[in-house]
Amino acid sequence: MSNKIENQKIDTYSKNAEIVASIENVSKKFCRDLKKSLFYGVQDIATDLIGGRRNSAQLRTGEFWALKDINFHLRRGEALGLVGANGAGKSTLLRVISGLIKPDTGCVRVRGRLAPLIALGAGFNPILTGRENVYANMSILGLSKNEINERFETVVDFAEIADAIDAPVQTYSSGMAARLGFASAIHTQPDILLIDEVLAVGDIKFKAKCYRRLHELRQNGVSFILVNHNPQAILNICDSAVYLSKGQMMAFGETATILNQYEQDLFSGKLENYSGAMYFPLKSEHESLGLDLVSICFKSPEGDIGKPIISGESTVLCVTFFAHQKFNDVNIHLKITELRQQGNTVLLLSNKNDGMSFDVNSGEHEIQLKIPYLSLVPGSYTMSIKLKEGSLGTFDLVESFKFTVQSDVNMGISMINQQRVWEIKSKL
Amino acid sequence: MPSEIVHTPESLLKHPLKLLKQMRQDLLASRELAWQLMVRDIRAQYRQSLLGIAWAFLPPIITAIGFTLANEAKVINIQATNIPYPAYVIFSMALWQTFVEALNGPIQAVTLAKPMLARVNFPREAIILAKLGEVFFNFAIKLILIVVVFIWFRVPVSWTVILAPVALIHLVMLGTLIGILLSPLGALYQDVSKGLTMATGFWLFLTPVVFPVPKEGMFGLLVRLNPVTPLLVTTRELATTGIVSDSLSFWIVSIITIIGLLLTWIAFRLAMPYVIERLSS
Repeated sequence: MSNKIENQKIDTYSKNAEIVASIENVSKKFCRDLKKSLFYGVQDIATDLIGGRRNSAQLRTGEFWALKDINFHLRRGEALGLVGANGAGKSTLLRVISGLIKPDTGCVRVRGRLAPLIALGAGFNPILTGRENVYANMSILGLSKNEINERFETVVDFAEIADAIDAPVQTYSSGMAARLGFASAIHTQPDILLIDEVLAVGDIKFKAKCYRRLHELRQNGVSFILVNHNPQAILNICDSAVYLSKGQMMAFGETATILNQYEQDLFSGKLENYSGAMYFPLKSEHESLGLDLVSICFKSPEGDIGKPIISGESTVLCVTFFAHQKFNDVNIHLKITELRQQGNTVLLLSNKNDGMSFDVNSGEHEIQLKIPYLSLVPGSYTMSIKLKEGSLGTFDLVESFKFTVQSDVNMGISMINQQRVWEIKSKL
Repeated sequence: MPSEIVHTPESLLKHPLKLLKQMRQDLLASRELAWQLMVRDIRAQYRQSLLGIAWAFLPPIITAIGFTLANEAKVINIQATNIPYPAYVIFSMALWQTFVEALNGPIQAVTLAKPMLARVNFPREAIILAKLGEVFFNFAIKLILIVVVFIWFRVPVSWTVILAPVALIHLVMLGTLIGILLSPLGALYQDVSKGLTMATGFWLFLTPVVFPVPKEGMFGLLVRLNPVTPLLVTTRELATTGIVSDSLSFWIVSIITIIGLLLTWIAFRLAMPYVIERLSS
């Protein structure tokens, strides 16, 4: 079902667009041992020269798959985001697509001029002036001298360094050099742009200008493959995304869905998927302070334990405890801390603050916190739970009850999931 | 509709026609880039140097002074040369230096261009061509010295001097051939450039640069088996006496060089992607 929706979305923006790059079953192996790696390089060259078979689909000792069976395609005017943790193979994939290194299995088909924004200012010589470097750099990217002459003014204007263009590049600030590199690369009129986290340079104003320029290029049918660690940037620009993890392609589809999956894996999935339930062993008589926690869990409104906790849906937090005798004024304190970013406390709840108190007889009891609409955004959280008498005496406590909140939709940088209803009222 | 480029793991040798077509295309496409790179490198080189073009003059002059002094003091025993000895050494040394530059050129080019090679896909021929251009540029500067020396020592010049550039080009091609052959390995292992420095030092003594071609003995045989000998000697002879002493060896070495250069070029193209994947990006 969700697949169907994704496909429809992709089709709507480029139904008739032709495929400009297709990546079919591409794998690439690498070796971490330098000596071995160099030796394998020589071995590969020798085999290739005598026209032998490299058996490139087999791993040799010490090798691993940096990319394994990657499949996706890029249409004209489409922007595709590559996401994945460090070392997931994003840059390697870009290098295979640009034809710098040969795939070990599968093949890459590319139609049109491909410009890498991988190396800003590749071949910049610090001794030479900005002007000389622009000429050298743009010819490396495949332009003739006349073409560079035509574009030179535009490039310098775009980079905003007209007054420094005849100074040696070594006198430039890093931002200036990067701006000049970006300006040179983007004015080569590519059909496909490969952008590897280069938009991180420059000040906000220049960044905004770059994004504007990228937008214009897209209007003209340029396709992008964008690698960026900022999910928001990918979400803003890209129609579709590929999620890589340790060389494997985890998913390919509509951006929001893929990013959501990526964030979930990044912040929780790989560590542990917290089931949202915790049980405690019985305490002996002398350990007990009279009230003992038995279990903590999230339940669906129907009462099922172990269902995923979904942001924006209803859920019930159940705290079960055993009372050895009768107590009055039993209170429960909950503190929820997010594990996603800085570890900020996001919620502090207690029935006492809400003007409620519970009186219990001896026996087992379950306190339910009913949450009709969970405002927590997707991510991992830890909760501390304290059972208290009045506001001072603590009976029992749990320091860390971890749970994961999931979501079907991406919330980007939102801190809370605001319950909401949209409406429009029009006067006729 | 632009044509489709396909990257596969297959060896390019499986499609030789396609390979040759690509090589021709890339060579044509790389002319302008090579020019740009050459201009860039030469500018950077001279802008960072106080002595500038003097570096093209100094080594032959210093060598010539050293050997002339040693020869006149009879410390070394060198047979009579058919042009004045200092002019002989300066001219031969300039030729030898040009050969060594052509030999080191491709390895230097690949090593220096590593960051560029690892990131941008451009015709790799360009960096080699740029280096070749630099070799000829440097020779052109040395030519000023040679002309001055020839006038100073009143060296007779035959009309065949107009053919000398052909032989010189063959000499440069031989150097380039060996350089290109070693360059992929040189990008991976530092041993190559170190070994090469040592080898060229020894090689110089097997080449008739500071002495005329020896006729006899084990040493004479080694010198005559040295492929640089016929090319360098023929260049020198064409420029001065006009009498080519060993045209057979010259043509054998030349033909092997030309065929070898084409094969080396193919090998270079095949090898580069493997080299690049072992370089850090």
